[in-house]
Amino acid sequence: MSDFDASLMQDFLTESTELIEQLDADLVKLESIDEDGQGELLNASFRALHTIKGAASFLGLDNVINFAHVAEDALNRLRKGEISVNTEVMDALLQSADVVRKQIDELSSGLEAQEAPQELVDQLHAIIKNQPANAQAEEAVATQAETTGEKQEADDQGLPGSPLQLPPQKQDLLEFMVADMQDYANQMEEVVGQFGNDATCEEAATSLAEIADNLSKTAEFFELDSLNGAIKLLIQITSTIGDAPREVVDEMAIRIRGIKWMLDEQSIWLEQGRALDWKLETITERVATLCKHETLADDITGAHENNPVQVLLLDGVMSAPADPAPETCATQNEEATLSDATTASPAAETSATPETAQDDDSEDKPAANKVAPAKQVAAEQTIRVEVGRLESLLNLVGQLVLNKNRVLAQTRMLEELNLEQEKLESFNAAAGELDRLMGELQVSVMKTRMQPLAKLFDRYPRVIRDLARQTGKQIDLQLVGKETEVDKTVLENLSDPLVHILRNSADHGVEDPEVRKAAGKNPKGTIKLEANHQGSHVRVAIIDDGKGLDREVIGNKAIEKGLTTPDQLEKLDDSDVFRFIFEAGFSTAAVVSDLSGRGVGMDVVRTNISKLNGTINIVSTKGKGTTIEILIPLTVAIMPAMIVGVGKHLYSIPLQSIEEIVRPEEGEVSTIQGQRVMRLRDTVLPLTDMRKRLNETGDEEGGKFAVVVSVGGQRAGLCVDRLVGQQEIVIKPLDDSYTQGGPFSGATIREDGKVSLILDVVQLIRQSPQALEKRAA
Amino acid sequence: MSDQLNEFTGESVNNQADKDLLQLVSFVVGAEEYAIPILAVQEINRMMDITRVPQSPAFVEGVINLRGKVIPVVDLRKRFGMAIHENTGDERIIVVEVQGESEARVIGFTVDKVNRVLRIGSDIVEPAPNMASGADSEYVLGVGKLDEGLLILLSLDKLFSQRELELAATAAGNDTTAQAA
Repeated sequence: MSDFDASLMQDFLTESTELIEQLDADLVKLESIDEDGQGELLNASFRALHTIKGAASFLGLDNVINFAHVAEDALNRLRKGEISVNTEVMDALLQSADVVRKQIDELSSGLEAQEAPQELVDQLHAIIKNQPANAQAEEAVATQAETTGEKQEADDQGLPGSPLQLPPQKQDLLEFMVADMQDYANQMEEVVGQFGNDATCEEAATSLAEIADNLSKTAEFFELDSLNGAIKLLIQITSTIGDAPREVVDEMAIRIRGIKWMLDEQSIWLEQGRALDWKLETITERVATLCKHETLADDITGAHENNPVQVLLLDGVMSAPADPAPETCATQNEEATLSDATTASPAAETSATPETAQDDDSEDKPAANKVAPAKQVAAEQTIRVEVGRLESLLNLVGQLVLNKNRVLAQTRMLEELNLEQEKLESFNAAAGELDRLMGELQVSVMKTRMQPLAKLFDRYPRVIRDLARQTGKQIDLQLVGKETEVDKTVLENLSDPLVHILRNSADHGVEDPEVRKAAGKNPKGTIKLEANHQGSHVRVAIIDDGKGLDREVIGNKAIEKGLTTPDQLEKLDDSDVFRFIFEAGFSTAAVVSDLSGRGVGMDVVRTNISKLNGTINIVSTKGKGTTIEILIPLTVAIMPAMIVGVGKHLYSIPLQSIEEIVRPEEGEVSTIQGQRVMRLRDTVLPLTDMRKRLNETGDEEGGKFAVVVSVGGQRAGLCVDRLVGQQEIVIKPLDDSYTQGGPFSGATIREDGKVSLILDVVQLIRQSPQALEKRAA
Repeated sequence: MSDQLNEFTGESVNNQADKDLLQLVSFVVGAEEYAIPILAVQEINRMMDITRVPQSPAFVEGVINLRGKVIPVVDLRKRFGMAIHENTGDERIIVVEVQGESEARVIGFTVDKVNRVLRIGSDIVEPAPNMASGADSEYVLGVGKLDEGLLILLSLDKLFSQRELELAATAAGNDTTAQAA
């Protein structure tokens, strides 16, 4: 494969992977949506598949093309409403998406894409051959799978204009003719600028006349009255504009641009199989006036402010937009304004952009809202960046933060020297500025690593759907807050745990429809996947309305496994008992259901979550359902921390887990069953002597401060000797087997170059004497 | 024997003449002179601040900041079960790369003194004597008979292997007592 191919291939793979994911999500959504909404989804699915096929054919990937073609045909039957959405069809289509995904995977690992399984191909052929439910649908239409401009009766509402009526033999040419029309429109745009100059005006008129002539031939193909009418106007203008007076030329020019805009709109919609209708009476009248070289009424002249959309509105070609309040924005050029309304992306090809700016005045208003394609929602302007580059950027920022800390430390030292006040101040100011800028840089870089949880969440409807099909349950998966953003690492580590929990909820939580009915519940179970930010943490909750966890069964199982004793068990509260399901080898299958093999992996949940410094909390009511709540810090690379001294050493405690810091007075500390506790307002806080915990020696009385930490509802007071201060720390892994085992989540480098360890609050709380006592077998 | 010593010759063996030559760095721990292949050594540093890591194996002195990377440092005296001695100023931290179970690890270890870089013929190296049996002596690859005395050739992979860690933990008494507290 040549280099040229390789880079194209990479683009193809990236794009197709995204398209397939979208396709998957859309297909699953299709099943649960009523018929009115299906049209748009079907179109989107079709486009995704079609794009993949197009790109694949460019690269000569025959196996992909052939299969995508068949799948596309099947999808097309659905799209045209010839068959209706049902589980069998959807199964086949979803499997098709899987096959294409597999082919893409094969290609990205450097293999050839395999042929699709014949069985599935046959199944798809069966769907294609299946006699149309709608008897009127012609066989000929069914075979024209690739033509994008077909009529879609299903989704007439919400789209502008009327379906394009074309005889079948013309269908094939549609795409070509639309491209042709766009070409001419673009040429018009070049020429129209020349009208501004008297010297070039005549010449421009001649070339425009040529273009208009060609256009009229193309337009005839579509058999559209509006389009033909508009082009007739154009011809009319070009025949007289050459020797028209200046004021008239200006009015004419803007109308030419208006017509050009109409052509653009029409071509976009023709590709979608829609023909737009315009009211041409007023504009015809005005053009006729202009052609007699007479000026228009004063209130019309110039009222368009050189905006072609505005002129079309004035001339009544299209109805006023929803928000008619024009807001003059002199600096913004038309390209930006109009592309906002039509293509939404400034980076879009110019052919789709109605006007290039000839002048800088324009109206900043969503004039084209009504006619602009609804589905072209604002696409973010993005560039792709290799992850490796982001990683190295983050590393650099990490180093910079350390250096900044050093500079700040030097600043403090300078203050102790007897320097001139002025010099000191200017140095301080510079250091302060550096601190502030570093903070901003850090936030910006961290943001580049943030990704919406939708990347994960959007995969799950498929998982749940398949599971529901397998088990014969009815499950409705609700996704809330999938736009919540988290760090890339967090996202990756959340993926497996969430699948495990969801599977568990669907499999063991939600009951069979009959059972649910008998219990007076809706036969359709609901699983809600909810995400939101809580301070510097992100909270992900999986809520089902199933049968809930059974304390007794889990407790007995835990005793059986030797994880606890009956006495101990009695003292544990519900959420502690439920936590046993995360123990390795604790088969939930045996506990709550007859289905086997599904309980595996809940310990993966716990491992992954604690790797992220997160916590899990389970709340469950028997018969009502279970809520599993995961709390994870937003980011994992740089964080603010409190530096504390224990004995001779300094340690860092992540600020995000610190609630407050108190100084326990003599009277407040007492001992309960050998455990030191302190009264903190109306609660009892277990205290951990950090000196003992970290094997520090020291003679003088220590542990003066209690750092109150809390993670996921559990709290503890860590008694430390000194408080040094708050600082941004860069987390370095402490992953060598020699240094694992202690209650540390990593290390950080201090401004003097020494290493200081980061305390793992989760582990400290879990292993706090109280918890250890609770857990002791 | 020669198989065993391949580790020592490493990539330096390019021509016939060099074939039997081992290029080593030698250092002193306690009374003995030890040697490791020069190619395994990343750098040799003066003593620096070592941050203690509570609840790690006893012979792990702590961690250091090696230009932004945090690496563990092993005290070879403790590793060999020798008495701790007063600082002399000659101590060095030798940073080496060893093959871990899944990936390469970078580890530092403290020695009393770094002696010299030397080349010796593999013919003067004898296999480790069996008398020093017991699992803990597995890391001795061989003994070089030099004119001025014996040189103990160490296998870094064995010295810092995971298995050794466990053995040493039981032998030296891991200070995990606090973990149970």
